[in-house]
Amino acid sequence: MSETEQNVEPAGLDPATKAELDRAFEKLYRDHLKDVYSYSYYRVGNQHDAEDLTEQAFLQAYRHFDRARRESDGRPLRPWLIRIAHNLALNFYRDRARRPQTPLENADPIPARHGTEAIAEGREELRQVIDKLDSLPDDRRDALIMRFALGMDNREIARALGRSDGATKVLIHRAIKQLEEEMSDE
Amino acid sequence: MSEASENLSGSTWDVERLLGDALRPIEPPGRLSGRFEDTLSALTQAAAEELSDWAEELSESELRALRDPRNWVRPVLAAGVGGVATGALVLVELRRRGRRGSGGLRSIAGRIKP
Repeated sequence: MSETEQNVEPAGLDPATKAELDRAFEKLYRDHLKDVYSYSYYRVGNQHDAEDLTEQAFLQAYRHFDRARRESDGRPLRPWLIRIAHNLALNFYRDRARRPQTPLENADPIPARHGTEAIAEGREELRQVIDKLDSLPDDRRDALIMRFALGMDNREIARALGRSDGATKVLIHRAIKQLEEEMSDE
Repeated sequence: MSEASENLSGSTWDVERLLGDALRPIEPPGRLSGRFEDTLSALTQAAAEELSDWAEELSESELRALRDPRNWVRPVLAAGVGGVATGALVLVELRRRGRRGSGGLRSIAGRIKP
């Protein structure tokens, strides 16, 4: 791990700048906690791991916030945050692939009733669409989570995935088309 | 056949509507903010204490010597206080690993009652 990655605090700042930076970060956290948590939840599928992923994402964001803000040129930082969560989720699955898996039936249930679950209960078609969504190629699935769970537009999704706007538009179109086809095959 | 599929013509599903219904934004648990603040405070405080301890160890002559760029190896090493942060991140990781795995969206789908 590089020195930069090890340090949590933004380095070399005078106290006033640091205080201003902290206030800005606090606002970023308040504004986007739900986005990062929602994305994490739909990627990992349970509350505990989603909390850990969200916490790690914001710790990383805090570490690089000063630079990100300077380089963003006034553009919204949500895609950057989601990109951090996205990369952490990739590491999460890479890491899990090297460890014994727990059968799904033994996975911890969510203790409190989930908003989505409450809406989805008794809705076979929702179960199907989530199941099919999980079978999509990673980039298509992630783009759809960003679009529908977070309400991100093509440009934001493009930035979060590190693609061009055009490529992202095509990616989403194909993802929806593939889902339609697979739902029809049921 | 479900109600929704009866309403759909032919093989066409209103996938965008279904996705909109299935992928609602999720309210994070209230404890998450407190947990993040605690972790961040602990990391920054630990880093500050490490730096403070290191500075107190220095004598005047050492401080003078530090102004010489040829002696900047030690400050660079001091930047390694971030190791404390790394340790805490490792704890976060271990805590995560300690929990049982899950199956992403499939596990969410599995919890939707038919």
